[in-house]
Amino acid sequence: MPLHKYPPRIWEMLKMKQGIYARLPQHYLRSLQPPPPTPVHWRPLGVKYRLNPKTKVRERVEDVPIPIYYPPESQKGLWGGEGWVTGFVYANGDKLCPRVKKCWKPQLFLRQLYSEILDHKFDITVTSRTLDLIDAAYGFDFYILKTPKQDLNSKLGMDIKRALLLRLARWNTELYPDDPARRDMVYNKYKKFLIPEEEAEWVGLSLEEAVEKQRLLEYKEPTPKFVSCMENLVQELAVQKLSEPQVVEK
Amino acid sequence: MWCRSHFVLEGLVRVFNKVTVSPVQNFSQTACKNTVVVERWWQVPLAKEGRPPRLHPRRHRIYKLVEDTKHRPPEKLELILTQTVPKFGGRGDTVMVKKSVGRNKLLAEGLAVYPSPENKQMFEEERKMLEGSLEGRRQTSTGELTVKLLKSCHLEVGLRNNVRYELTKEIVCRCFLRRLGMFVPPHALKLPEEPITRWGEYWCEVTVNRLDTVRVPMSVVNFEKPRTRSRKRWQALYGKPEPEESAQPESERPAKDP
Repeated sequence: MPLHKYPPRIWEMLKMKQGIYARLPQHYLRSLQPPPPTPVHWRPLGVKYRLNPKTKVRERVEDVPIPIYYPPESQKGLWGGEGWVTGFVYANGDKLCPRVKKCWKPQLFLRQLYSEILDHKFDITVTSRTLDLIDAAYGFDFYILKTPKQDLNSKLGMDIKRALLLRLARWNTELYPDDPARRDMVYNKYKKFLIPEEEAEWVGLSLEEAVEKQRLLEYKEPTPKFVSCMENLVQELAVQKLSEPQVVEK
Repeated sequence: MWCRSHFVLEGLVRVFNKVTVSPVQNFSQTACKNTVVVERWWQVPLAKEGRPPRLHPRRHRIYKLVEDTKHRPPEKLELILTQTVPKFGGRGDTVMVKKSVGRNKLLAEGLAVYPSPENKQMFEEERKMLEGSLEGRRQTSTGELTVKLLKSCHLEVGLRNNVRYELTKEIVCRCFLRRLGMFVPPHALKLPEEPITRWGEYWCEVTVNRLDTVRVPMSVVNFEKPRTRSRKRWQALYGKPEPEESAQPESERPAKDP
C-alpha cells in the first residue's frame, strides 16, 4: 500500500504554509494560535512544585485541564468562558458505587447590553459569570475590548469586538458624527484600545472568512483578450511606422 | 436539540391544557447551577515534562462537584451615583448595592456609573471644587429630609418657675433631643437676641449642614416634673378631676419678671 508523502495528520498544518493561507496577514495568523483559556470550571494548582501534604516531600505537580464542551450556541452568546462539563459522577458520591453520566450546563439569561461606542443595545444570551465580569471590567465595551479571544470564546463577542475596534479606528467620521462632545469623551475613554484600521478589519474573523477576504483583496478583473491584442497591434503599427523611411518632399 | 424539544413540549402543553400555567420548565431534575467547579476523583499520574498528561479513558472523566458558585454569599456591587436617588444617596456618593438593583435600576436608568479610576477621579475633583466654594455646595438628600421634618416641628421648652435663670443654647439642644429626638449641635442653633427668662412664644433657628436655615417655633412653658405630667395625662384620659391647687400650688403662678 503506497504511503502518502506527508502523514494525513499534518495536512492541516501544511495547508497553512502554502497558497492563499500563507499570504494572510501576520497578525491574523498569530491570532489563530491563542494560549489556553483561563480555567473556569476547575482550579489550577498554579505551581510547578509543592510539598506533599502527607509526606512533606517536595514533588513536581502538573495541572491537567478538564475538557469542556462548548456547544454551537455558546458562539452566539457570551458565556464568559463557561461550557458544558460532561463526564461521570459516582452515584451517592461513593467511590464503590457505579458511575453515572452527568452533564453540568450553565444557566443562561437573556439580557440587554448597551455598547457606548456603537450606541446600540444588544440582546445577548449571557451567564451570571459574564455579568460579573462586565461589572469587574467597568462596562460592556471594556469587557469586550479587554478580554482576549480565548477567554471571550464566542464568535458573537469577536464580531462585536471587530465592530468596536473599527468604529474606534474611524473615530473621525463614524464615532458620534452629530455629537462632537460625546465623541471626544468616548474617544478619550477608549483611546488605549486603538489599533490601525487594517488590523482591526481582521480581528475575530474565522479562517474561511479571512481567506475569502484575502481572495477579494487579491482579485483582479480579467482583461478581455481583444484589449491586449489591440494594444499589441497598436504597438506593432507604431514600430512599423517608425521603421519606415520618411519621405520628405522638397 | 435539548432546547427545541423543551419548547415543543411546552407549546404542546399549552395547547392541550390551556387552563394551567405551563408546568414544563426544565427536563433536569436538579436545581440550576451557576458556574460549577469540578475536580477528578482519580489522581492523574505525572507525565514527563513537555508530554501530554496520561489520562485513563474511564477513570479520569469521573468528576466530583467542588463548588457551585450560586451558593456563595451574595457580593455587593460598588457604584457611584450621578444624581440624587431617594434612599441611596446624592451625587458623587459611593454606594454598595445588591447586584440586581445596581444593574437593573441604577445602571440601566443612568443613575449611577461604575467606580472606574477615571470616574472616581472625576467625582473626586468635582467634590473638591464644590467644597472650596460655599455657594456651589448642595444639600444632601438626608439633609433635605431633615429640613422638611424641621419645618413641621414645634418645640416645647420647660422653664422652672421657682428658680430664675436664662434659657441657653444647651438647654434648647437638650430639649430637641428629649422632645423631638433630634440631635442639634449648639453651633447650629440660634436663639433670639434678647434673653429668654419668661414663658411665651419664641423661635429658634436651626442650620442644617451650614446651608439651610429653618426657623422652628418654640413655646416656653412651665416646667413640669414627669410625675406631674403623667398624672395630668391620666386625669385627662379617665376624667377624674382633682383639685389642682392642692397638688400643684406653685405651678399656676407665672414666673416673676427679671
